[in-house]
Amino acid sequence: MATVTLRNARKSFGSVNIIKGVDLDIADGEFCVFVGPSGCGKSTLLRMIAGLEDITSGSLQIGGREMADVEPADRGVAMVFQSYALYPHMTVRENVGFGLKMTGHSKADIEKRTERAASMLQLGPLMDRKPSQLSGGQRQRVAIGRAIVREPDVFLFDEPLSNLDAALRVQMRIEIGKLHNDLKSTMIYVTHDQVEAMTMADKIVVLHGGIIEQVGSPLELYHRPRNMFVAGFIGSPKMNFIPVTVQAARDGNVMLSLPGDGRMTIPMKGDLPAAGTRLTLGCRPEHVAIGKEAAASGALQGTIRVAEYLGSETMFYASLADGTEIAVKGDGLAAQKSGDILPLSLPAAACHLFDAQSNAILNGDLTR
Amino acid sequence: MAGLRRKRWNQRTYAPWLFLAPGMLMFSIYVVFPIFQSIWISFYDWDGLGPKTWVGLDNYANLLDDESFYTSLQNNLIWLLLYLLAIPAGLAVALFLNQSVTGIRLYKSLFFFPFVISQVVVGLIFSWFYAPDFGLLPKIIGFLTGSEIAVLADERYATYGVIAAGLWPQIAYCMILYLTGLNNINPEQVEAARMDNAKGWSMLWHIIIPQLRPATFIAMVVTVIGALRSFDLISIMTVGGPYGSTRVLSYFMYEQALSEYGVAMGYGAAIAVVLFAIMLVFISIFIVRMLQQERNG
Amino acid sequence: MFPTPIARTAPWVQRIYKWLLPVALVLWLLPLIGIAVTSIRPSSDLAAGNYFGWPSGFNFIENYSTVFENSNIGWYILNSFKVTIPTVVGAVGLSCLTGYALAVYKFRSNLIVFFMFVAGNFVPFQILAIPVRNLTLSLGMYNTTTGLVMFHVAFQTGFCTLFMRNFIKGLPFALIESARVEGVSEWKIFWHIVMPLMRPAIAALSVLIFTFIWNDYFWATVMAQSADVRPVTAGMNELKGQWKVAWELIAAASIIAALPPVAMFFLMQKHFIAGLTLGATKG
Repeated sequence: MATVTLRNARKSFGSVNIIKGVDLDIADGEFCVFVGPSGCGKSTLLRMIAGLEDITSGSLQIGGREMADVEPADRGVAMVFQSYALYPHMTVRENVGFGLKMTGHSKADIEKRTERAASMLQLGPLMDRKPSQLSGGQRQRVAIGRAIVREPDVFLFDEPLSNLDAALRVQMRIEIGKLHNDLKSTMIYVTHDQVEAMTMADKIVVLHGGIIEQVGSPLELYHRPRNMFVAGFIGSPKMNFIPVTVQAARDGNVMLSLPGDGRMTIPMKGDLPAAGTRLTLGCRPEHVAIGKEAAASGALQGTIRVAEYLGSETMFYASLADGTEIAVKGDGLAAQKSGDILPLSLPAAACHLFDAQSNAILNGDLTR
Repeated sequence: MAGLRRKRWNQRTYAPWLFLAPGMLMFSIYVVFPIFQSIWISFYDWDGLGPKTWVGLDNYANLLDDESFYTSLQNNLIWLLLYLLAIPAGLAVALFLNQSVTGIRLYKSLFFFPFVISQVVVGLIFSWFYAPDFGLLPKIIGFLTGSEIAVLADERYATYGVIAAGLWPQIAYCMILYLTGLNNINPEQVEAARMDNAKGWSMLWHIIIPQLRPATFIAMVVTVIGALRSFDLISIMTVGGPYGSTRVLSYFMYEQALSEYGVAMGYGAAIAVVLFAIMLVFISIFIVRMLQQERNG
Repeated sequence: MFPTPIARTAPWVQRIYKWLLPVALVLWLLPLIGIAVTSIRPSSDLAAGNYFGWPSGFNFIENYSTVFENSNIGWYILNSFKVTIPTVVGAVGLSCLTGYALAVYKFRSNLIVFFMFVAGNFVPFQILAIPVRNLTLSLGMYNTTTGLVMFHVAFQTGFCTLFMRNFIKGLPFALIESARVEGVSEWKIFWHIVMPLMRPAIAALSVLIFTFIWNDYFWATVMAQSADVRPVTAGMNELKGQWKVAWELIAAASIIAALPPVAMFFLMQKHFIAGLTLGATKG
């Protein structure tokens, strides 16, 4: 059981900065997920915590103890690798017990721990097989078993499900969740799959270009993204971004002109932008309404480019008067087709406003 | 803080040097230092036993006046150029054998056979093959032209005769490199090229040969090094003769410094240094190329 | 597959190919077949000028036993084994260590050390010969198999390191990292995880080095003066002078000398070719 704390942690390879100053607190027993596009540094950050990469500067504490000078094996962490990293010449039993054997644990102790891990993960019948005789899901379980027997304070997972097919991935996701409930250890999990992040995490850390864009619970990130990057990264299909211009702003309201002739008014706290400011309005596809009230606030017209009829829902990809592409989630029974004009409206309560230059959010807390 | 950090990386800092130590020690003593010692010896007049006399560049100056040196140098060049034929020839044999008919594996092994045999035996086989009066080749030439030629006894042909013997295993080596290369070409790419109407020569030239580049590189390396190292065949087949006409630098050096009567250590070392300098050009090219691969891969 | 599989060509092409294959092989191996046939000829054939006709008798046992009786070839072969086997063990063993160090650890001079091994592997023997012979003399190992073995081990370590390092680089690095997270020491990682996975590389290198050393002629000539330590390659050259025109004996001796590496090749063919063509497919 341990907390993990990073303070201004940096990592560079030669002159290339991979991690550009990360501050992060992970509570004891928390399930923390690192997400971000490939190359954002999420795996490097995990490997820094594991001790596989040294920390160029800054501090890392696990359980309140400074870790920069501690060998990986002495950090109380265990890691599950993307490729599982099972030793091909050893049986499952030997794989699971190898680390304990090498660090001088007694035979009885190894056996006890191995058996417990095996029963937790239903590895019993597989114990005497070689990795090559196992399916992908079974290998994954062995890799997790190898981590469990070490009884670590912190579990580290590096994209552990990315080599599995979709159905197995769902199943393993649930198993890892159960494991977290049973063991109550701190877990840090790297993935590029936001469904994994949203379903498993207590806390999500969104990384981009070596810095943290935002930290929060899944729904916080979804409803209160701090900037356009997070808004666009979390949620699928991704949030629509529409260029707008401020017409007027007074009494806690801003009036915006939308592409085409539409206008809308959005309530806003704090300093109001000056008239004429260009902003970006964000609205998720599931929040864009399809309707007929062309004159109402937030009304838009889109020409349907592509319609995907998925049965349970229909996805429309339309273009607005100024050419902006917009995705709209419609009813499964929607009859509109490609080429049709789609009357749309943006509900003020579901709209986020972003500063067009800095991409920082000005408004848009849906959980107010 | 800095001190602590150094300690953390201790095991992984010294471990590689412990793993490297025995190999590097041996390699330094027997390969790296001797190169410099040879260069140093080349500035001396030395019979191998008595005292050394510093002569500066005299050994090199003498080389420039030595007819044998030019013969050797010229022969080295001939070896190098003709040896390179092993590369296209090896590719041709590989293409011929890259089929999947019954027994082809055995054919491939048997074609590769000459490479496994020592050059001493290859030299003996070819000496016999060329032998005047009864050798197979003079018989064939005699049958075709009416007059037999004693290849190895004739200054005009002897070097080419020895090179032909050397090409035999070298072609086999290049063949096996190309067979492996061909085996690793993505069949879908060949099929895609067929859809694009590439066939025969155009397929070979535009699709196959570019993909065989790694194999060609290795074939170049082993062929160039093999050509410049040629020694065994000359020693077995002609002993440098007739009249020293088949000498190459490596054999010339052996005669001067290593053979029963060779006591000119300084002079021999100077020849070795010249040969080393020539090879260094190629070694540098190879190393630069490998370094680029290393950086990209 | 390129060229077009023969099974998909016209019937006449297939027929020509099937006919051409054995013809090409016989032509290719003609010198070898000649020497094999000569090695079983009665010497009367050669005296009578029957060099290429059908042998008048099958003198396999007579010729081969004469070779053993009239020469030291049995002794030479034993010497070759005494040089070859320790060299294989030594060079492969050392290069497991060096290859591992260069493949697994990142340190500043890694590539410099690596390319020192690679470049050293390409140098001409003649630049080494005088100092190596002097060194061997001063160590009291001149004219001993130990002296030859010491040099061969050192020199072959260059090629073997290149080979081993590239092989280990091809193993999944996560295996090593995983063991590090588990607290396994660097030596134990090498011994328990990497070594068991290196078996195919060790096999390939062993057959290759065996062949290289068995076939070595230059060093055998330079470092072994007396018949007691002379390997079979250098011995063959002596027999050639001794027997001059008794070609049936030279032929038989050649075949005896060539046999061990040939046997090695046919028994371990897969490993042999894997070793030789390393690097021919990637890069």
